[in-house]
Amino acid sequence: MAQKLKRDLTVQEQLARGPLDMPFLMLVTLLTIIGVIMVFSASYPVALTEDKNPTFYFIRQLFFGGAGLVFMWVISKINYQRFRWMSMGVLAVSIVLLVLVLIPGIGVEVKKARRWIRAIGPLPQFQPSEVAKVGVIMYFASRLSKRNTETPRTISPRSYLSGPYNYLQRIGFLELIPYGAILGVIVLLMMKEPHMSGTILILLGGAAVLFAAGIKLYWFAAGGALMGALLLLMMSGYQSTRVQVWRDPWAYYKTGEGFQIVQSLYAIGSGGLLGVGLGKSRQKFSFLPEPENDFIFPIVCEELGLVGAGIILFLFALLIIRGFWIAIHARDRFGALLVVGIITLLAGQVFLNIAVVTNLIPTTGISLPFFSYGGTALMIQLAEMGMVLSVSRQIPAAKQG
Amino acid sequence: MKNDKRRQKPDRKANRTILMRTLFLMAVCGVAAFIPLFARLYDLQILQHDDLQARALSQQTYDQPVTANRGYIYDNEGEPLAMSAEAYYIQLSPRQIKECQEAYQKKVEDAVKSGDESKKPAYPEPTDQSIAEHLAEILDLDPEAILKRLSKTNSMYEVIKTQVEEEEADQVRTYISQNGLTSGIYIMPSTKRYYPYASLAAQVIGWVNYSENHGAYGVEAIYDDELGGKVGRVVTARDGRGNQMLYRYEDYVDGVDGNNLHLTINATIQHYCERILEEGVEKYEVQDGGFVIAMEPKTGAILAWANSPTYDLNKPRTIIDSGLNQRLEEIMNDPALTEQEKSDASVALLMEQWMNKAITSTYEPGSTFKSVVLAAALEEGVVNENTTFTCGGSVMVKGYDEPIKCSNRSGHGTQTLAQAVANSCNPAFIDIGQRLGAEKFYDYLEAFGFTERTGIDMQGEPRPSDILLWPRDRFTNVDLAVASFGQRFQVTPIQMLTAAAAVINGGYLMKPYVVENITDSSGTILQHTEPTVVRQVISEETSQRCRAILEGVVKPPGTGKQAYQAGYRIGGKTGSSQTIKGKDHTIVSFLGFAPADDPQIVVLLAYDSPKPTEPGGNLTSGQWYISGGSMAAPQAGKLLADILDYMGVAKQYTEEEKATMDLPVPNVLGLSLADATASLKEAGLDVRTVGDGEVVTGQIPGQGMAIPGGSKVIVYLGEEKPTDKVVVPDVVSTGMNRTQAQEAMANAGLYLKVSGLATGDDVKAESQTITAGTEVERGTVVEVHFIESTATGGAETGL
Repeated sequence: MAQKLKRDLTVQEQLARGPLDMPFLMLVTLLTIIGVIMVFSASYPVALTEDKNPTFYFIRQLFFGGAGLVFMWVISKINYQRFRWMSMGVLAVSIVLLVLVLIPGIGVEVKKARRWIRAIGPLPQFQPSEVAKVGVIMYFASRLSKRNTETPRTISPRSYLSGPYNYLQRIGFLELIPYGAILGVIVLLMMKEPHMSGTILILLGGAAVLFAAGIKLYWFAAGGALMGALLLLMMSGYQSTRVQVWRDPWAYYKTGEGFQIVQSLYAIGSGGLLGVGLGKSRQKFSFLPEPENDFIFPIVCEELGLVGAGIILFLFALLIIRGFWIAIHARDRFGALLVVGIITLLAGQVFLNIAVVTNLIPTTGISLPFFSYGGTALMIQLAEMGMVLSVSRQIPAAKQG
Repeated sequence: MKNDKRRQKPDRKANRTILMRTLFLMAVCGVAAFIPLFARLYDLQILQHDDLQARALSQQTYDQPVTANRGYIYDNEGEPLAMSAEAYYIQLSPRQIKECQEAYQKKVEDAVKSGDESKKPAYPEPTDQSIAEHLAEILDLDPEAILKRLSKTNSMYEVIKTQVEEEEADQVRTYISQNGLTSGIYIMPSTKRYYPYASLAAQVIGWVNYSENHGAYGVEAIYDDELGGKVGRVVTARDGRGNQMLYRYEDYVDGVDGNNLHLTINATIQHYCERILEEGVEKYEVQDGGFVIAMEPKTGAILAWANSPTYDLNKPRTIIDSGLNQRLEEIMNDPALTEQEKSDASVALLMEQWMNKAITSTYEPGSTFKSVVLAAALEEGVVNENTTFTCGGSVMVKGYDEPIKCSNRSGHGTQTLAQAVANSCNPAFIDIGQRLGAEKFYDYLEAFGFTERTGIDMQGEPRPSDILLWPRDRFTNVDLAVASFGQRFQVTPIQMLTAAAAVINGGYLMKPYVVENITDSSGTILQHTEPTVVRQVISEETSQRCRAILEGVVKPPGTGKQAYQAGYRIGGKTGSSQTIKGKDHTIVSFLGFAPADDPQIVVLLAYDSPKPTEPGGNLTSGQWYISGGSMAAPQAGKLLADILDYMGVAKQYTEEEKATMDLPVPNVLGLSLADATASLKEAGLDVRTVGDGEVVTGQIPGQGMAIPGGSKVIVYLGEEKPTDKVVVPDVVSTGMNRTQAQEAMANAGLYLKVSGLATGDDVKAESQTITAGTEVERGTVVEVHFIESTATGGAETGL
C-alpha cells in the first residue's frame, strides 16, 4: 500500500502520525534490556540443572524481547481509535480462549491448574488470561469513554417497574450491569483453572478503568467489601496456611511451604547495599526455586544490592508516572482510560510481585513485567506498551509560546 | 444546540472527574506503592543483611573439617604409647541416595521405552534394603539401624560409623562406585588413636572420646589442647542439591597437627610395675585392686604408675578385668534391678577401671607414715640414734580410755630408734609424737605437703578440703598419738610418695610430674618441665640418717625384710591399714627406695583388701598373712630389683651376700689338680674331686655356667664324667630352710640358687624354678625362692 501524502490524510490520520512519547519508549526499552540480562544471569543455573544449554532461556527471552519491541512499535503505529472496535473482538476471543483452556488436550495442566494453552503450530504456549487482561481494559475503556454521550434507556413511567428501575438508574447500578457481567464470566472461568493471581489482576485492571471513568465511589466500596469477604472465605484451608507461612515463613521452612519465601529473603538479604555482583548470585544455584521467573527480583537484589534494586524500582516508578502523564494528556477519554487501565495493571503487577518476594504479602504467583522469563507474557506486555505509545502519538502539541 | 449545551456541562464535570481520579491513581501507583517496597528492601538488605547473609552462607557453603593429626604420646625413651593414624568415617546422604534411586528407575524406564536393554544400568537396583545389607556386612553394623537412617530422606548427613580402617573404607568405596551411589555415600577422612601397649599406663594416658575427638581421661584430657592441634577447614560453595561447586569459590584453612607429649613414664618400668601388681592381686586374692607408683626421688618425675583393675586403652568401654567382669555379670543377672539401674551400675564399673585411684582416692597410710614422723623427729632433734624406747605391748594415751596396742602384744622391750623403726613399734612412735608435740607435728604435716595438692599434672587430684585430715585447731593429743603411727587420717597415695621422697632425697619436697617435654610435629621442644622444689623440709643430714634407719627395716629382723634383694641396698617401710569399708578390708602397702645411700627410685605399692579365709581372719586361702610386710614387701623387693637392674644401677654386695652369689665357673679342663683348685678358689668356688688322676679330664658344671658362690665344682681326674640325668628333689612341700635345701640339691648333684629372703634363719622355700621330679642334667642350677616362715604384723597393728 502506497503511503498517502500528508495532505491527503484526514485529521485523525495526521494525529496518528504524531511523535512517540520518547521518555516512555526509553523507559520501556531500558527495562526490557535490563530484564533480559537478568534473565540470563538468573536462568543459566536452572538451564544447567535441566541439562539444557546454559543460554537456553536467555536466547528465547532475547528473541521475544526483540520481537516484542518490534511488535510494540508496530502497535504504536496503529491509530488507537481502531482499538475501540477491536476491543469487542479481543474480549470475545479471550473469553473463547478461557473456555478452551479448560478443555484437556488444549489446556496444559501444571501443578493441578490449567492456565496455559499448549503450543499449536507456530504459536507458542501462552496464558489466555494475558489476553483477557487486555481485552477487559480495551472494552471497558471504549465503552466507558462513551458513557456520558449515551442516552439513558427509559422505561414507560406507567410501567409498575418504573419506580425501582429509576432508582437503580439513579444510583448507577444499571450501567454497571454489562461490566459486572463480563467480569463475572471471566472470573468464573478463571477460577475454574484456577488462577487466583490472574483473576486479581483482571479485576484490578477493570476496576481501574471503571474508577477513572467516574463510576460512583460507593460501588468500589461495595466491590472492595465483596472481595474482602471472598478473600476471608478462601482463607480457610490451603489459603489459610498461606497466611500462616506469610507470618512466619521459617516455621514452615522444613515442611516446604515456607521454603521458597525463605530462600527469597536469603537472596535479598545477602545482597546488602551493593550486591554480590552481576552474575554472582549463589541463591540461584538450586536454592531459590524459579529464579528466572516469579522470583527473579530476589536475584536482582542479591546481585545488584539495594542500589541496583532501588534503581530498577525507580525506573518502574518513572514509567508508571509517565504512563499516567500520557493518560492525562490523552486526546480523548478512550485514550486516557485505556492508558490508565494498562498502567494501573502494570503497577499492580510490579507491586504485587515485589511485595510477594519480600514477604510483604502472602505468596501468590505474579510475574514481574519485563523481567520474569516468559515469551508470550513479555510480547503481550510490550504490545500493551505499544498501545500506550499509540495514545501518546495523538497528544496535542503544547501551544506554541 | 440546546441539547448540546445541556450535555456540555456534565461533560466538563466528567472530564474533571477523570483527571482527578487519574491523578489519584498516578500518586498511588507511581509513588505511594513504591514506598513500602523500598522500605522493605532497606529492611531486608541493610538492617537484616548480616543475619540473612549468615544464614544464606551456611546453606551455600560446605564446611568440611580437615582433621589435624593428634599428637603422639611417648615414654621417656621415645617409645610411642599413643599414636594417631588415618581412619575414615562413613556418611550417608539419604536425600541424595533417594535421588540416585530415582535416577536409576528413570534409566530403567528409558531403557524399556527405547527397547534398548543395553541402556539399563549394569548393577542391580540400589534399594534401601540392599544398601543397608551391603554396608552392614562391610562395616559390621546392624542393617536395621542403617535402614532407619536411610528413611530420613530429608537429611544430608548421617554418619553411620566412625574410626573405619582403610581396608573397610576401600570395600565401601568399591561398593559405591559399582552401584552408582557416589553422590550418596561418602567416605570422609578422620584419624584414629592407637595405643600400641594396650593397657600399659592406661589411667595415666587416658583415652580419646571419638565422637568429640577430645581426650576423656588422663593426659589425653589434661593436655587435650596441646595434643589436639587445630582443625582446619575447607569451605566450598555448594548448590541447593548439595553438590559441591569447586569452581565457584573455595577457602582453605590448613589444619595444624597436635603437639607430642613426652612422658616421664618408662614403658619398661611401667610394665614391671603392672606385672608385679597383677601378680600380687592374683596371689593374695585382692578384692579392690591396688596401685604402684614409681618416682625418681630427686626430681619428682613419675617413672611408672600402675593401677588395678585396668583396661585396654584401645577398647575403653570393654571390661577386661576378671574381678570387674564378675561383678558386671552379677549386676546383669540381678533380677531385682531395672534396666536403668543395670546400665548405671555398669557405667560405674567402667568409671572404676578408668579412675586413677592412686590420685583420686585417699587412704590411711598406716606405718609407711612412720618414715615421715621419723624424719620430723630427727630434724627437730627430739630423738637421735641413741634414744631408747621401751615397749610393753600397749600404751595408754591421755584422753583415751583404751590402751593402744602394739603389733607385738608381748612388747618389743627396750629398743634403739633404729630398732623401733625396724619393728614398726607403735608405742615407740607414740612416744616420738609426744616428744614432737602437736604444733610441731602439724607443722611437719604441712611441710610434707599433706594439707595441699601435690600439683602433679594428672587428673582428679582431690582438693585438700576433701581429704580427711584434722584441721590444726582440732588436732588433739589422741589424734597426735594415732597420727604418729599413720592412722585415722587419709592422704592420697601421690602425697604419701612425694613426702616419702622428701624424707630420702635430701629433704626436698618435689612437685611430681608426668610430662617431661612437649614437642611440635617437627620435634622442636616447646615446653620442658624442670624439676620443681616446693620446699626443703628437712636437712640433707637428717635425710641421710633416715635412709640409714629405713635401710635397717629391710634387714632381718625388720618388718620389711622380705623386700630384701641381694646386691641392692633397699630401704623402706611397710604399712597395713584398714579402709573405710571397715573390717576385712585392709590396704597392705610398702614404701621402698634404692639404693639406700643414693636413692634412684622410690616406689609405693599397695594392695587393697586381700581376702581373708574367714571374717576377721589374718590369712588368705593361700596361707598369706595379711600385712604389708608379708605381702607388699616381697613384691616391692622383686620390683625394685627389676627396676634397678633395668636402670643399670651397679650391685653392691656385702661379704655375706658374696658367699651366696652366683659366680661363673672357669675352665679347668687339662689343668693339674693344684692349678684347677687354685683357679676355682680364685673364682670363689669350692672343689670336689672324683678319681685320682693328675690332670682334670672333666668338670661339672661346664665353663661359663653360673653357680652360687662357695658351691662345689666337681672335678673328674681321669674318671669318666657321668652323663646320666638326675631327679630334682622337692624342697617346697616340706618347707625346707636354706641349709636343708642346699644339702638336698647337693645330694642330687644339683646347685641351689637362692632368691627372696636369702639371709636369716626363719626362712622356708616357697617355690622352685624346676618342678620336683623333673629329670635334668647333672650340675643344673635350681632356683628356690625363700620367704620368712613366721609372719608378724597385721592390720590392727599398722605394721
